[in-house]
Amino acid sequence: MTSKNSFWDSCRENHKRRIWVWIVAVLSQLLAYGGITMIYLSRIKGYYADGNYKAPAAFKEALYQAAKDSIGFSDNLYTLILVLAAIIAMQGFSYLYDRRKVDMYHSVPVSKDRRFVVVYVNGLFLYLIANLLGLASGMVIAVSQGAVNAEVLAAAGLAFVWNLAFFLVFYHLMILAVMLTGNRFVTICLFLAFAIYEFMAYSSINNLKQTFFETYSGYFIHQEAKLSPLVDYTANIWQLKYAKDAAAAAKLAMPLAAKWFGIALVVLLLAWFAYKKRASEAAGKAVAYRFLEPFLKVAAAVPAAYLVGQFVYDTSHQNELLLVLGMLLGGLIVCSVMEVVFDFDIRSIFKHLISSGVALAAIMVIFCIFKWDLFGYDSYIPAQNKVESIAISTDGYYDSYWDENGQYLDNPDYQKETMFLTDTEPVLTLARHAKPLDREGLSNNRCVEILYRLTSGRQAARRIWVDYDDPETAALLNRIFSTEAFQKGMFQGMEDETSYDRVETINYSNGAAMTIVPKEEAKGLRDAWVKDMEQFDFSLVRNNRPCGVIRMSYGADMSYMQRSYYVYESFVNTIDYLKKQEAYYPVELNAADIDLIKVTCYHNEFSVNPDMLYRDDPGYAFYREAVAAEAEYVDTYVDYSTEETFYEEEQIAQILPHIYPNYIDAPWSSYGEDADDSNNYYLEVVFKKDSSYPYERGSYYFTYCFRNGEVPEFVKEATAYTGESAE
Amino acid sequence: MIEIHNLTKHFDKVKAVDDVSVSIREKTVFGLIGTNGAGKSTVLRMLSGVLKPDEGTVAVDNMPVYDNVEAKKKLFFIADEPYFFANANAGTMEHYYSGIFEDFNKLEFYQYLDKFDLDKNRKIGTFSKGMKKQLALLLGICAHTKYILCDETFDGLDPVMRQGIKSIFAKEMEERGLTPIIASHNLRELEDICDHVGLLHKGGVLLSKDLEDMKCNIQKVQCVFCSVDDELKALNGIEVLKKEQRGSLCTITVRSTREEVEARFATIDTIFYEVLPLSLEEIFISETEVVGYDIKKLILG
Repeated sequence: MTSKNSFWDSCRENHKRRIWVWIVAVLSQLLAYGGITMIYLSRIKGYYADGNYKAPAAFKEALYQAAKDSIGFSDNLYTLILVLAAIIAMQGFSYLYDRRKVDMYHSVPVSKDRRFVVVYVNGLFLYLIANLLGLASGMVIAVSQGAVNAEVLAAAGLAFVWNLAFFLVFYHLMILAVMLTGNRFVTICLFLAFAIYEFMAYSSINNLKQTFFETYSGYFIHQEAKLSPLVDYTANIWQLKYAKDAAAAAKLAMPLAAKWFGIALVVLLLAWFAYKKRASEAAGKAVAYRFLEPFLKVAAAVPAAYLVGQFVYDTSHQNELLLVLGMLLGGLIVCSVMEVVFDFDIRSIFKHLISSGVALAAIMVIFCIFKWDLFGYDSYIPAQNKVESIAISTDGYYDSYWDENGQYLDNPDYQKETMFLTDTEPVLTLARHAKPLDREGLSNNRCVEILYRLTSGRQAARRIWVDYDDPETAALLNRIFSTEAFQKGMFQGMEDETSYDRVETINYSNGAAMTIVPKEEAKGLRDAWVKDMEQFDFSLVRNNRPCGVIRMSYGADMSYMQRSYYVYESFVNTIDYLKKQEAYYPVELNAADIDLIKVTCYHNEFSVNPDMLYRDDPGYAFYREAVAAEAEYVDTYVDYSTEETFYEEEQIAQILPHIYPNYIDAPWSSYGEDADDSNNYYLEVVFKKDSSYPYERGSYYFTYCFRNGEVPEFVKEATAYTGESAE
Repeated sequence: MIEIHNLTKHFDKVKAVDDVSVSIREKTVFGLIGTNGAGKSTVLRMLSGVLKPDEGTVAVDNMPVYDNVEAKKKLFFIADEPYFFANANAGTMEHYYSGIFEDFNKLEFYQYLDKFDLDKNRKIGTFSKGMKKQLALLLGICAHTKYILCDETFDGLDPVMRQGIKSIFAKEMEERGLTPIIASHNLRELEDICDHVGLLHKGGVLLSKDLEDMKCNIQKVQCVFCSVDDELKALNGIEVLKKEQRGSLCTITVRSTREEVEARFATIDTIFYEVLPLSLEEIFISETEVVGYDIKKLILG
């Protein structure tokens, strides 16, 4: 039996005031779950009817995935949940905006605490009922279509908790926003600021660093919002959707959900405190607490000023004076607008000039910090005794990394997790030896990303620029590349010793031929390659191209995964192993197998880079004059390419020792850089159809390039530019 | 009893109520009179626990009222613009208030609705301003609280309805000791209902007195003196609040009892004199003029 004025009576009475919110919440959740489930399953069934799924098992799997996508972790939901949380919270506490309502509610014998709890619990209850109804509708539809299994149920359960935590954060943020303000417009602005402020602040700081600091790097450490569930949600939802199983999803989702519950609790306590302290007369005012106004003004003006400044800077060909003016103007406008909003009076535009001055001063201080690098960001190189270990990534090599579950890993993440260079001296020396950033892109300097792990536990990341062809740099890089720590962090094949049993196929390619190695040889072949890696250093990869590549492909749940092992001519252990398996073919081809070679020469020496026309380089004076002479229109692109086809076996034999297959990457190699012959010539090598050569991919047509400086004279003569292009 | 001590309230830089102290006795009708912006509504909102005083205390039957449920059970506040739920009818509001006020008398409420010809099923949004005020008053009366606080509630009520409400007040005061506290700037509205008035001016209390005492202590005399000496003699030693002269006819407002005035004028040689009754409005104007508040100037610009 409840008393006449029991808590539940109050809740029931409160619900009567929220009927439209009930309707919106339930309808939106039914559509988001039930409607979307119906659409997704119908789409899969349509694909099946069209014959897109050959095996019934694949069709079934697609149905399960579709059900998981709609009632499990769904990327359709977060906007809806956010908006719903905002509506429920604002509608529940909106009586605080209206003096008439405040007079009524605050004069009746109901305590402030009771009123808050009733409205809060009702809002939460409203969301839960609507969400569960939606979930149930989606589940019923999925069950009726046979699209539910234990994984789908587990995903739905996990997603329910994840979405609830997400809802609570924004529900509480909106309650806090209502408590701090006195009308809907300002509440919505503050709520949006709460939702995205941290993200915006980090973006602004990162952009400022990028604009002013030469050594700024977002490679290893990308500073991003740490307390923003919105960022967490959008950054992780795809991984959660396609998690291997419920356990993998739980491992990712639950810590985040726990963090969100923590954030929600803190925000709720703040909202409660603000509610208790809020005066009734705040109804209708812009801000419930006058003392917050200058803080809000400064907090809004600084990032807004930066946004305006950055826009002006980007659109004015990076004019720093306009950047400063843009920032000041942006800050001033925001300060003035906020004063108008605070008082609902246009005449307040220049009110409280002191806080406006503080905001503008803060803007200029921030600008000066970045512009003149007042904290020595660019000159930062830690003392050797303060560095525990280092991870680096050097421009010139790219690989794909996968974890033991077959999940793709970002390069920086993998390298950060696996590379621990404890011999830090060469890296620190390399950093001291770094070249200045060439903003015009005229030099051949290459970037090196460095992650310093300090003994204090802190981490710092920097990007430096080095000249690979500088002997001192090469010597330092040799010391770094030759360490096992670097190799393990760079080549996953060095690190991974456990997945041989999952290797499905092994092949070796020299660019044209492709041979198969029995999968049972995976361990032996990899061990031989690891043995050869003892001679690996920067000079090896800079001055040589691989003579072939071993590719190991994995099956079952790692079916997307493939690991490449580059083989150099000095890798005698690997080559011997391949030879024993009759899988080795030298990179050099036999002229007897070749039908023809068609050589195209682009004559890059005549080409003009339009970007260079406006540079002050005297070498481009001629072109600048040409542009000036034909002021209206200048066609800077002229096709100078020529081509010649060689059929004679003798000529082909002379060409073959100097060519290299385009199909094989050459990490860190100097080949292929600007003005290189390998860029200037393009070769099409056509094998004889009756050749016994084990062509890769069933083709008999392959593209090659010349090794730098090795173009035969007769080829040069045959492809010389005579005034007519190949076109 | 409601006791207000040194009550002060600011809205930003504006001092809306300045050091107000008033005692409101039970079973009396207390009228809170004041000019526009005098702070009547603010005092009532603090009295009902809506606003928290910056300084001072408000005690309802010795209980502080702000955020105190027990104290608020004794009060029903009718704001100058009473709020009713969107799309609500009288029944909806009865259901809400009867859930909050334990002694709410539903039967009586519907009987009053019939008497005042208010349709319980009609949406309140379609009611006239006067009908809304009637409904708010009926809800307040039927909530059966000890005190009912009315902020400009009688404005907009036609004389018949006003009389009806006054009758109900009288009945409820008689039966259960209801204490109405009525704020208004309309002096005529309060004249025939209040037992005690508090006069607010610029946030402060000018006076708080029983109406009868007030009427007894201010007198208006119309007379024609025989000579200037007679006039001086008559007014010597008496507080003159106001004096107007038209030809030989003097109209003098003085602070004194009727008996004193009559006794004094009986000894003076006058051609004619008469002690006239003062309306509450005249008392209000006289008292405010004493502190430099020229009501005529305000009204006439």
